[in-house]
Amino acid sequence: MEPIQRIQCEWCQSQNPPNAVTCQACGARLDVKNLVSDSGWREAPRLKDMTEISFGASTCQMEGEIVPVAEVNLGQGDSVFFEHHVLLWKDDSVRMDVMSLQGGMKRALAGMPFIVTIATGPGRVAFSRDATGELVLLPLHPGMEMDVREHAFLLASHHINYSYTRIQGLRNILFGGQGMFMDRFVTTTTPGLLLLHGYGNVFERKLKPGESIMVEPGAFLYKDSTVTMNVETQKLKTGLFGGAGINLARMTGPGRLGIQSMYLHHHTE
Amino acid sequence: MSVPTAPARYRCPWCGAETDPHNTSCPACGSPVDVRATVATDSGWYELPPIKDMAKLQFGQSFCQIEGMYVPVADVELAAGDRVYFTHHLLLWKDTRVVVEAMPLKGGWQRLFAGLPLIMTQAFGPGHIAFSRDEPGEMIAIPLHPGQTIDVREHVFMVATGSVQYDWFNTDIWFQTQQNSDDGPETHYPIGMYMDRFQAGQQPGLLILHGAGNVFVRTLQPGQTILIKPTALLYKDTAVNMNLHFEYPGNTWQSWRTWGNRYLWLRVTGPGRVAVQSSFTQIEDPGYNLAGWPYDTTQQQW
Repeated sequence: MEPIQRIQCEWCQSQNPPNAVTCQACGARLDVKNLVSDSGWREAPRLKDMTEISFGASTCQMEGEIVPVAEVNLGQGDSVFFEHHVLLWKDDSVRMDVMSLQGGMKRALAGMPFIVTIATGPGRVAFSRDATGELVLLPLHPGMEMDVREHAFLLASHHINYSYTRIQGLRNILFGGQGMFMDRFVTTTTPGLLLLHGYGNVFERKLKPGESIMVEPGAFLYKDSTVTMNVETQKLKTGLFGGAGINLARMTGPGRLGIQSMYLHHHTE
Repeated sequence: MSVPTAPARYRCPWCGAETDPHNTSCPACGSPVDVRATVATDSGWYELPPIKDMAKLQFGQSFCQIEGMYVPVADVELAAGDRVYFTHHLLLWKDTRVVVEAMPLKGGWQRLFAGLPLIMTQAFGPGHIAFSRDEPGEMIAIPLHPGQTIDVREHVFMVATGSVQYDWFNTDIWFQTQQNSDDGPETHYPIGMYMDRFQAGQQPGLLILHGAGNVFVRTLQPGQTILIKPTALLYKDTAVNMNLHFEYPGNTWQSWRTWGNRYLWLRVTGPGRVAVQSSFTQIEDPGYNLAGWPYDTTQQQW
């Protein structure tokens, strides 16, 4: 019988040595089975407290479980970018710069972070968001394109290109629960690390081409750029008051879709 | 040497349902099989056995799977012809084929003025539909046997099966304060003006609640009382009576008129079960003079 040469992580598809207990790229445990509901949602990997992963010459350690902290030990010349209000603490030696962004006025008017900050090693810098939830590590392989709900990303490695995409359609903007823009993260030839914070618990589902599901707009966390989103209003008629409506986002595959179970938007700015 | 064998049936100490002892969780309420006595505190509160991640409950031909631990999701797989109802803002996702429509409710104006959801929504199978509340806490599954009734504080209810009848009633838990003689009295409702009441009809039913933080339950003997924070109340048996209780600590002047000179309690009196949640909102008591209260209100000056 052939010995196992490599273990593939089922969450991020990265290859790991045969003696690995957690994925070196995303921290997912390799020795426990996936938690998948009958309806097809997979829980995001529950990271063991103090799990450490590596990217480039740097490492990232996940600390705590209720409101977890991502502590990054940046190697010389490595950098990560983030929204400044998620910064928890840092070493003196870590250099801070502001990333130049296009469309500053549009971002300001849309309520997106006007300034994205870059921290450059060597040194340690730590991040957390002010709500109960889970850290979701998404190693991006070359050529991947990921859309993320605004203010949901905690940090990304500098190999990832950051931009934003305008949400199409007035109904999607007004009733989509996340404003006018989504963050877009793209990798070209080099892999990168994207770290999100989801409120409550995070679940992921892979939609087949043409497959649709209706999702509470505020629960949307991330998706492959190939997944389309259209908000639809369903009328709930009552005799006395003429009726009210609920807005649900129709998400259509192909691609991954991530949702969070606590979808009240917590303003942190 | 004989090998000990498991009993033929296992009775869930949480909901009373009989089940296969080889199950890992009770199919009626989701609590782990073989709950030990360690879940009870010295004072007599039973901590709700946490529902295991991905535990499945069955009702009729349908199933409910509890997913996640911080802000759990109730993922309901509705069989054709089965129905659940819920308040619409708890809807997380659904299959496109699941039909959702408004459920008629009586007393729309009263519900509107009381801050209760005006519209109760119902979903019809077949298909999946999932619910969650925007607060860390625990999911509580309460199987209701035919004819069994339970009272639930407003905004705690998540989803109920179609066999459970829904009603609501006036709590008569209120007090009035008055700042100056020129001002009119202001009325406060510490547990809300109304409570939800759920009753299983001819068929058993399933009720799912969401408690903020952790949930604890105790059974009160006839006449036994306990004081709880009003907003910590989660649910109670209908036989449990409630009244307000004001407590004035010693060495304070009531003329200070601050919140610190008056503690507001809800007295619950058995017989029956009462459940509390460990995370609850503070009541805004301005500390003004009391101007009115129900006849059964009690006071204690130390």
